[in-house]
Amino acid sequence: MLHFITKRMATLVAAVAVSSFAVFLIPYLTPGDPVRKIIRSRVAGDAVDEATVQGLAESLGLDDPLLAQYLRWVGDVAGGDMGLSYVSRTPVAEQVLPALAVTLSLVVLSLGLAVSLALPLGIVSGLRPGSAADKAITAVTQALIAMPEYWVAPVLVLVFALELSVLPTAGWNDPSSAVLPAVTLALRPISFFTSAVRAGIIDSAAADHVLASRARGLSRAQSVVRHVIPNGLVPLSTLFAVWFAGLLGGSVIVEVIFAVPGMGRLLFDAVVNGDIPLAQGGVVVVVVLAVVVTTAADLVHRFLSPALGASLA
Amino acid sequence: MTAGLVLDGLDVRTDSSESRGTPLLDGVSLSVGPGEFVALVGGSGSGKTLTAMSCLRLLPPRLAITGGSIRLGDLDLTRAAEQELNSARGGRLGMLFQQPGRMFNPNRTVGHHLREPLRLHAGLRGVGARSRALELLAEVGFPDPARGLRAYPHQLSGGMAQRAMTAVALAGQPEMLLADEPTSALDKVLERQILQLLDRERRERGLGILYITHNIASVAAYADRVLVMSAGSIVEEGVTSELLARPRNPYTRELLTAARLAPESRRRQPSTEREILVLDEVGKSFPAPRGKRHTALEDVSLSLRRGEILGILGQSGSGKSTLAKAVVGLESVDTGSITRSPDGAGGDRITAVQLVFQEPHSAFDPRMTLRTSLRAPLHARRELTPRERDDRISAAMEEVDLDESLLERHPGQCSGGQLQRATIARALLLEPRILICDEATSALDALSQRTILNLLLRLQREHHLSLVVISHDMDVVRYMCDRVAVILQGRVVEVAQTRDFFATPLHPHSRTLVAASIPCRAEGLWAALHAPGLVRAPDGKASRDEA
Repeated sequence: MLHFITKRMATLVAAVAVSSFAVFLIPYLTPGDPVRKIIRSRVAGDAVDEATVQGLAESLGLDDPLLAQYLRWVGDVAGGDMGLSYVSRTPVAEQVLPALAVTLSLVVLSLGLAVSLALPLGIVSGLRPGSAADKAITAVTQALIAMPEYWVAPVLVLVFALELSVLPTAGWNDPSSAVLPAVTLALRPISFFTSAVRAGIIDSAAADHVLASRARGLSRAQSVVRHVIPNGLVPLSTLFAVWFAGLLGGSVIVEVIFAVPGMGRLLFDAVVNGDIPLAQGGVVVVVVLAVVVTTAADLVHRFLSPALGASLA
Repeated sequence: MTAGLVLDGLDVRTDSSESRGTPLLDGVSLSVGPGEFVALVGGSGSGKTLTAMSCLRLLPPRLAITGGSIRLGDLDLTRAAEQELNSARGGRLGMLFQQPGRMFNPNRTVGHHLREPLRLHAGLRGVGARSRALELLAEVGFPDPARGLRAYPHQLSGGMAQRAMTAVALAGQPEMLLADEPTSALDKVLERQILQLLDRERRERGLGILYITHNIASVAAYADRVLVMSAGSIVEEGVTSELLARPRNPYTRELLTAARLAPESRRRQPSTEREILVLDEVGKSFPAPRGKRHTALEDVSLSLRRGEILGILGQSGSGKSTLAKAVVGLESVDTGSITRSPDGAGGDRITAVQLVFQEPHSAFDPRMTLRTSLRAPLHARRELTPRERDDRISAAMEEVDLDESLLERHPGQCSGGQLQRATIARALLLEPRILICDEATSALDALSQRTILNLLLRLQREHHLSLVVISHDMDVVRYMCDRVAVILQGRVVEVAQTRDFFATPLHPHSRTLVAASIPCRAEGLWAALHAPGLVRAPDGKASRDEA
């Protein structure tokens, strides 16, 4: 186990290093000179002369080797200093962290909702595949995949905010304002999680060891609770992590439609405005979190399914 | 008659409307008393496992008991309520399955599996359950029971897994144990250990055992009575010594003949023909965890002469299969050399060495018809027209006594024996000079095993092939081979003529192997089984010597 953790940690560090280096390179790869971009963000017009540009470049250490610059940047970011936003002139960290908090609560809410619906639905249909309940559940959850967020969101707003007036249309103020975005975001994971749970349960129920557990005297219910369900849910841990990581930066549409001040929205604005420090800060945070979450999921998976872990290590 | 397990006229049928009336078990009556060791033998598909699962009332979906009764002491299992059945299963009525690896939940420790029956049937929890579990593991021969409790199934070897499964089956203090081929997946040494364990339970606390098997040798050694099953009915029943010595039913006779892999009348003079395969100090190792290397083969030197049958004996994990792969060229070797000169002219044509695999079902692509699978190796012969290729396939099918119509079937539609013939046919297509048979019959029941071995012997004679027979089955090696090489942890520890080897095994490991193949309780019966005429009275020792 220790060996496995060490190995996963090494992979984690490597993944963070590679991806953060890519993020670090963004200003160098986008057209235009970074120094001039900084100047343009502070001074109107072309009033600054060449010597000032040189001086600024030097004072920012832009003449140093790339690697030295990268390491300095990593040090700064790790210390919470992600620079100043071109647009708002405020520290990036002060914008990223609140947005992250908002997105995290949104993602946790919607995935929580998805799991709490997908578990019973998937288990019910997986235990009796082909039954009427299974067919109904499968049909409904499959239909959810076909509903895009930009369609579902306005429909929900129309019904619950405008017609019934029970929920706010947009914003992020009180808990009720989280309901519509969380539900919209949860629809597709509900569908994917349900079919993963269903498939897992069908697989695990067919295993020989389930029959053997009945031969030890477990009732059907005991055998289902103790062997079929725990084994059937193992695949969900990986799928959950993938969705969690994906939604951190991928909830743009929902955040824009419901005016939720989250990461997706922040990254979207940063890119549209060419606010490179803000984009860098946002992407680094999302990438590091995504890598940490998938690593955690691997550890959980290994813990739940030791035999599988052994064959991978 | 209240004690023990009694089946009376048990019928099991499919309950689907279209095939209603297809009896799978037809009037099965049998009894196993306390402290009795009763063997139920028969070919695969004869209904042995179904009988056991009926006793547990755990039949597959769409099968139902349609007549007769099953009683365990005073409990009528056919009428018992689900709750009574749950307390009987794993409690009074234990079950030991064939493949321990598949019968454990891979995500739970051995301890977890032991705790379930201890809680359900012995009312033990916590510390009490733990100490009893440790006791059980010690009883079945775990060297370190505490560690055994924490082990996950995948961390156990086949033998240890079956011991653990035995501990689980005994945890509920059963009065009756259904043992469904508990040792078929194990080698002889492990088989003997497990059977002795069961026999000790029988002697010490009067455990009744219904031992389902197709292994006649172990029946001779342990069983008090034998029941012979064929096509869902008991066709013969009797005291072991009587029945084995004087079988009346033709099916029983056939079964016993098949099991009697006596040293055959093959000429076993040391061959003087030229060597066509020479292994010289071959070594091979694989990367193991933590940067170490696992040595699979070390300084293996062997030779095979033209027309010779060489047996390679060893336990699971001894390096036998690596050796086979290296000879065929599927695996490179680290040190030493392998020289194949099948044409005599020093040629090294690789297709002249062909491999017959262990598991016929996994040796074919399930989505291809046999014809498509058999065409594949012929791609190596570009000079042949499609017509000639199909002619060759037909000829090869005829060689292995398979009907050509089978070619259009998918592997799932064939029996294990048919598929194993087809693998042999496939190996013959490229006209090999050397055939490597890697446990080629260990997945088959005794009848199919016998036919396949005889088929191989006939092909060997007709084509003057050289065979390498890799096996953990002493009887197969003794039946087939001219010479025997024993392999232990990747090293060849003994090479001898088959006859000398079985008469006087020299290396300590060889002695263990040979000793394990001779059962303990009925040496005389064993000899009788190996005597030329089965119907003759069991005065076997003399006749064995003359064989």
